[in-house]
Amino acid sequence: MRQIGRYCRLMGVFAKYSLMSALEYRINFITGVTVEMGWMIIKLLYVAIIYKAGTSIGVLTPDHILLFVGTYVFMTGVYMLYYGNFGSLPWMIQQGELDLYIVKPVSLQFLVTLRRLEFAYLLPDFVVGVIMIVTGWRLAGLPSDVLSVAGFLFFLLCGCLLTYSIFLLPYLLGFWIISLGGIADISNALWDFNNMPSLIYEKWMRRIGTYVLPVFVITNFPGLFLMGELNVWACVWGAAAPVLFFLLSRKLWKISLKRYSSASS
Amino acid sequence: MGIIEVEHLKKEFSYYKKATGIKGSLHNLFRRETLTKEAVRDISFSVEKGEMIGFLGPNGAGKTTTLKMLSGILYPTGGRAEVDGFVPWERKNEFKRRISIVMGQKNQLWWDLPASDSFYLNKCIFGVDDGTYRDVVTELSELLDVRDLMSVQVRRLSLGERMKMEILAALIHQPDILFLDEPTIGLDILSQKKIREFLKLYNQQKKTTVIITSHYMADIEALCQRAVIINQGQLVYDGRLGDINRVLGERRLLSVKTSSEVNPAQWEGFGTLRETSAAGAVLEVPQEKVKAILGAILAGLPVEDFTVTEIPIEESIARFYQKEVVAP
Repeated sequence: MRQIGRYCRLMGVFAKYSLMSALEYRINFITGVTVEMGWMIIKLLYVAIIYKAGTSIGVLTPDHILLFVGTYVFMTGVYMLYYGNFGSLPWMIQQGELDLYIVKPVSLQFLVTLRRLEFAYLLPDFVVGVIMIVTGWRLAGLPSDVLSVAGFLFFLLCGCLLTYSIFLLPYLLGFWIISLGGIADISNALWDFNNMPSLIYEKWMRRIGTYVLPVFVITNFPGLFLMGELNVWACVWGAAAPVLFFLLSRKLWKISLKRYSSASS
Repeated sequence: MGIIEVEHLKKEFSYYKKATGIKGSLHNLFRRETLTKEAVRDISFSVEKGEMIGFLGPNGAGKTTTLKMLSGILYPTGGRAEVDGFVPWERKNEFKRRISIVMGQKNQLWWDLPASDSFYLNKCIFGVDDGTYRDVVTELSELLDVRDLMSVQVRRLSLGERMKMEILAALIHQPDILFLDEPTIGLDILSQKKIREFLKLYNQQKKTTVIITSHYMADIEALCQRAVIINQGQLVYDGRLGDINRVLGERRLLSVKTSSEVNPAQWEGFGTLRETSAAGAVLEVPQEKVKAILGAILAGLPVEDFTVTEIPIEESIARFYQKEVVAP
């Protein structure tokens, strides 16, 4: 428990310092916010078209789709918050920049993957995502009792852990191979599969995306839970997958770290 | 038993060979020949608590690799090491609280924030209590003469100021052992001197064990009584810095000034001729023969003045680097 408190305090310092650093470069910060808002408008346009056409996808009405896309936008903000750390991992490995982090008495994975937080992306995604979720929720007439809200938030939290665990995996290859550009692109494309609810994909694809590489669990399970579309086994999987994949990312991190050979001075 | 014990430490790196040009690149795409480089080969030494030793060697000798193994950054290929009772590469948190490493070419400070923010982060990471933290920062910032720079962003500091801050950040948790890898690289003479003075004082006051690598002999001569020299991954000298000349065979430099030009051939009979000009010559001679040789020169040549000096330590060390000699 003391350890958790210590890590939370450290996370607080990282967040504060990242924000302070970002505000040192005001123009860059504002540009970041603007670019992210541009991306968001594109995503909102998809939803606007669906509303205009009035199309439903299976059990999903445009209001449901608004909720799902809102969850995706929110999650993108959370992922973007620490994504920069993943992106710089191959470079750090190549340049021997892990040296001074290895000698610190805290988890190296924590230090390397969460020390820099990018608020310019989080802010617009977070605000707009929450508005979309709340609006879609209300318009679709989904239940808003304590259990539903708690369940939605629980799966949202599970989605955050799952995002971190799944999307760290390709970057760990940086310990084995030097250049990761192609793999990073594939990983980003995989994230964009959640642009729309998973119900638009074929059944076999949904199965793979839910049970093999559970990227669909991240943004679909909170909404599916609200709609009563998750059976007990799916709920168990939704809670277990983040833990399993987190443990997998820890294990692979430790194995990969043994490959670290630093760099010549 | 010393605070650092190293026995038969080895480190190998594997890499692949690449022929030059596009042909070599295409060949590498399908088949790569893996080679092994022995960065550190069977090194053994021991360091006593409170000692400050100079770790010397040419570029690529294996100094930094050894420091990285002793600080737990790298796993060795073979051998053993114990640092303050711990096996470094097990990377236990208690071990990490007892050591610190400063690398002249790497930085741990947050670039866009004042260094004091990075100090505070280290305080949180190492779990240093508030009182100790305040005392350490006040004391060290005064000793390093950086008190007025505490609220300046790191990116605005000069290289020398930044290195002082790096050292301060590394000492927030008051480690028992400090590894310094070229801490004065690229610094001006004044900054080098200030850092040397600080390290000397810190070592004397806190009895912190220090291993320092540097290419500046002034650092080593000012700080270390003992030198460990490695070359091509092997230990070639471990002993007092002042004894290096003795190991190489006590030799002296005899500088002779003459009133008229002497034929170079005439000098050669007296010793190893290092320099010659119209005004005189510099000879390298065995120490025990200085008197006799000087007598012969005075008797046979038009000597105006002469001096006898030791061979500069830098030059002696360079001989180890060139592998002209091996350890006794």
